Amino acid sequence: MGGTIVGERGLGRRVLVYGLVGAVTLWLVGPFVWLFVTSVSYQKHLLARPLSLIPPEVTFDNYRMILGLVRFHAEGQAAKILPSMLNTLIVAAVVTVVNLVVGTTAGYAYARFRFPWKGVSLYVLLFTRMLPTIVLIPAIFLMFRALGLQNTLTGLIIAYCAFTLPFTIWIMKAYFETVPAELDRSALVDGCNRLQAYYRVILPVSGPGLVAGGAFTFMLCWNEFLVALILNTKPGTTTLPPVVAAMNAQINIDYSVIAASGFLGALPAVLLVLVFQRYLVQGLTAGSVKG
Amino acid sequence: MAAEAPGTLSIGRTGRRRTRAVFRPVVLSEAAFAWLLIIPAVVGILLVIVFPLLYSFWMSFADVNLLRATGPAIEIFGIRLPLFRFVGLQNYARTFADPVYWSSLWRTLYFVGAFVLEATLMGLGMALVLHERFAGRPLMRSLLLIPWSLSRVVVGLLWIGILDFEFGVLNGILHRAGLIDGYIAFFKEGFRALNVLVSVYMWNQAPFATLLLLAGMQSIPEEHYMAAAVDGAGYWRRLWYITLPALRPILFLILVLSTVNAFLMLDLIYVLTMGGPAQDTTTISWLGFQTAFSFFKFGPGTAILYTLTALCLLLTFVYHWVVLRRYEAEA
Repeated sequence: MGGTIVGERGLGRRVLVYGLVGAVTLWLVGPFVWLFVTSVSYQKHLLARPLSLIPPEVTFDNYRMILGLVRFHAEGQAAKILPSMLNTLIVAAVVTVVNLVVGTTAGYAYARFRFPWKGVSLYVLLFTRMLPTIVLIPAIFLMFRALGLQNTLTGLIIAYCAFTLPFTIWIMKAYFETVPAELDRSALVDGCNRLQAYYRVILPVSGPGLVAGGAFTFMLCWNEFLVALILNTKPGTTTLPPVVAAMNAQINIDYSVIAASGFLGALPAVLLVLVFQRYLVQGLTAGSVKG
Repeated sequence: MAAEAPGTLSIGRTGRRRTRAVFRPVVLSEAAFAWLLIIPAVVGILLVIVFPLLYSFWMSFADVNLLRATGPAIEIFGIRLPLFRFVGLQNYARTFADPVYWSSLWRTLYFVGAFVLEATLMGLGMALVLHERFAGRPLMRSLLLIPWSLSRVVVGLLWIGILDFEFGVLNGILHRAGLIDGYIAFFKEGFRALNVLVSVYMWNQAPFATLLLLAGMQSIPEEHYMAAAVDGAGYWRRLWYITLPALRPILFLILVLSTVNAFLMLDLIYVLTMGGPAQDTTTISWLGFQTAFSFFKFGPGTAILYTLTALCLLLTFVYHWVVLRRYEAEA
């Protein structure tokens, strides 16, 4: 390993490295672990001083509350969590599938072919990735109002598809550029037409790229907050992040309960990303996507 | 798909000269096939990004009254999009005459500067640590993705749990260690709240910079370090003369991406401070968001947001230029 501190020997340096690694770990994971700790604590123990970092009593009451298993004063708010989670799942899943079909295909075209307007359209893609999404929302708000897509999951799906497609195309373009073009050529020689060469030969060897693009899209949709907040205001039509944010804005709900809903909401995306991290890192560093 | 004709067999060459398609109208040229592949994405992006972008641009020159349905409108496919009353540069003039806009702009510049500095340094610092040899390195790469994969709503929540005046764990720890007598109110004083926002956003974003930098570090040839070791160069000299110069394109990319992200950051402000106390954490994007969606003044709101878009356009040019240069350097 060139450029590292640790030479062939040196216990002091080794201790230094492990100390630094420990500090980085604490910084990266500590806050998330603490979110979990608070979610299985009673609020009174969080308020107790001196504070004990290990909760004196572990409880799943907070989770029971947000899952609607026990009655409490804010159960109206808590009852929105599961349905909104289902909405989030539907939206994220559909957008991911659309992206994998449409975005991958476009990424392939950009990686392989020369065609008129290629440069310009790539430039537009790049620009839309850097664009403040929020500037589009007043217009989309009025368009969706006219189309009756406000407060519908379909509307949200359409908006998210358009917002995530540039990322997917970029990731997939970068990925397909690493797949040797000889594969396409030999498929054509073997009698495939161009479309067959794409889906019979290239797609089957593009698993890692597809996983990266798909997982990234799913994560973006699962976490998206502002667009859902503005477009879907009617109760029951929105996704999880606005519901959690609304709980957070209410003074009469204990933090431990909000922490439970936050942790539960974060878990799917975190697990997905951890499971596919190898492909994601490859795909994202190749496409240098903004996060 | 009519792509089976013999003339279309080779990939690299066929469609390069567009005239071919004219001579053989039946055969789907390479260019036509490519367009067929990208057309769904292009249509989607045109309808849901490019058109709204233009429509919003129009609104920034209009007196938008959301309740009035009459007046000029675009009518396509039976839907009716009102065009409202054109007022020229009035929205922009009002925006630029508003001292709140300018104070938000300076605050935004501080936010962006502080964030870019923190995120780049922290990203680089973490990358240098994780590039060392130690047991469990692959695991650390996974952990890097945790802060980055959280929704900003959860990021906000989680830092409230740490920084809150009453139940925050940081106050608890500091108090227990005897470092503070009274608790620190992190969100009460404006400038401190702004800096807290910077750091929380950095916590969320720096790991991505680390990922890019780690990938870059792995591609630096070992021989460069060996030569330096022969010359007796220590860790810091190797870092300064070999590692950092090799990472320059990636560092520049991180600089541009984090600048754009910092200009656009909104969701954390929503969860943590709502632009307050007073207006001490109000950035341009928050001001635009608030004007458009809290007060439903779409005209002035889009005008404010368009000044932000102009900045992003500028940065895209820079980014494009850097990416191009990087590819040229690789080739």
